[in-house]
Amino acid sequence: MNRLFQAVVVGTTALLALAMLALVGGLVVELARHSAVQPPDLREVLFAVKLSLGTATASSLLATVIALPVAYLLSRHQFRGKVLLDTLLDLPIVLSPIALGALLLVFFRTAPGQAIEALVGPIVFDVRGIVLAQFVVVVGLAIRLLVATFDGIDPEYEQLARTLGYDRVRVFQRVLLPMAGPGVVATLMLVWGRAIGEFGATMMLAGATTMKTETLPVAIHLNFEAADITSAMIFIAVLLVLSFGVLVAVRRLHGRGL
Amino acid sequence: MRLSACAVLAAVGIACGGEPASERLLVFCGAASKPPMERIAREYEADTGVAVELVFGGSGTLLSQMALAERGDVYLPGSPDFMELAVERGQVIPGSERVVAYLVPALIVPEGNPAGVAGLDDLGRAGLRVGIGNPETVCLGLYGVELLAHNGLLEAALPNVVTFGASCSRTADLAAMGSVDVILGWRVFEAWNPARMDALALEPSQVPRIATIPVGISTHARDPEAARRFIAFVASEAGQAAYRDAGYLTDREAALALAPDASIGGRYALPDDYLQRLAGGAP
Repeated sequence: MNRLFQAVVVGTTALLALAMLALVGGLVVELARHSAVQPPDLREVLFAVKLSLGTATASSLLATVIALPVAYLLSRHQFRGKVLLDTLLDLPIVLSPIALGALLLVFFRTAPGQAIEALVGPIVFDVRGIVLAQFVVVVGLAIRLLVATFDGIDPEYEQLARTLGYDRVRVFQRVLLPMAGPGVVATLMLVWGRAIGEFGATMMLAGATTMKTETLPVAIHLNFEAADITSAMIFIAVLLVLSFGVLVAVRRLHGRGL
Repeated sequence: MRLSACAVLAAVGIACGGEPASERLLVFCGAASKPPMERIAREYEADTGVAVELVFGGSGTLLSQMALAERGDVYLPGSPDFMELAVERGQVIPGSERVVAYLVPALIVPEGNPAGVAGLDDLGRAGLRVGIGNPETVCLGLYGVELLAHNGLLEAALPNVVTFGASCSRTADLAAMGSVDVILGWRVFEAWNPARMDALALEPSQVPRIATIPVGISTHARDPEAARRFIAFVASEAGQAAYRDAGYLTDREAALALAPDASIGGRYALPDDYLQRLAGGAP
């Protein structure tokens, strides 16, 4: 029975890993067999890489920082309307990104939206729009993951710290956050991974403008729209290598616990 | 407050600021026109100093974006049906439209024509995998169904249609990726990716209708006169040359030479029994 269990566990993992490798293998074969109509300009690739890295890092950091107090509230406090608030904050997870992008576009047509643009500069069809679109898509996920992290930490540690004289801020800073550290980093990684691949909301709010709002997913889309399959595959390969590299690097930096 | 907001954005690598509206034109441009329009935008900027920002995408998505955001100066979809829709919905100034290029239907096969498609009549051949644009959302699909009906092939060919392309480009991708044996596409698809697609010309009498790539001024244009000047440039010899070099037909007579009896643009009503035929039922 133990052997069967072991075989199921290892076999399932191996099959899934093989399936992922097969996808990468297909990409390599496709790239080897065909040449691009108009191979992507190196400057365009570098631009898309830098923009994707910058915006995904910015939006995932913002989402994680903003999700921290929200997740703390949801994890540690009971209050009237909590279920409603919890569900409201889950909406970005269930709404498709293109729907979120459309809602953002509509919002920026309203007086508050236009006031925000007057304050911080253009957002619609602009780079700022990419960060905002990614943020809105991933913030619900960040909250959900951080609530699970906080829920996994016994509140007794915090109560003990309070009895020893720490105020709430210090308990959060010195007790809860250090214990939640690996969970916060794991949240950041997952959210970053979701943000760098984000396309639907970005395309709706920031538009697909070459060398301006052209993230890697937007570049992939534009090349498919021009029937330049090989160039699209090149951008897919860049996104794949980049994401894989960054995720491996972060895992190594933070130990094997992730 | 503004400073702190800028500081936050600057901290994440994004600078505040922007060019004044009058020196920039925002053009919603069908993605299939990317190569010629990028060249046109560069040349226009060099000539006039006016920056042209091109937002690319599928024609329907662009129209929705323009309507939702209530911004944009010029709309250039990939086919005439979206321009009609844009005018109907008050998104493009009526009468501002100009034709940029002409689109003639053709059979498009994956490079080398692996299924050995010889002509339109082959589309009824048992087992052939055919792709067309979605006739209910893409004019390429609508014109494709009309083409089949015009040639008495609707009944034989529709059961072979295994998939619909969501846009002109996605329909071309079906052939370029070898996902189907043949698509009903535009002749220009071959020029988009000659290494992956071949065009098989139709007999002139087989083509009932040809389409156009139109351009028009958005009702949200901040400076309609500036938009009009840009459109005039797109329709000028310089603009036409950019489209010709990308494989498009820009001359009406040249397009009609390939299909002398064809009407240009307009709509075709799907047959009443279209859905029934599609489901494989008897008409």
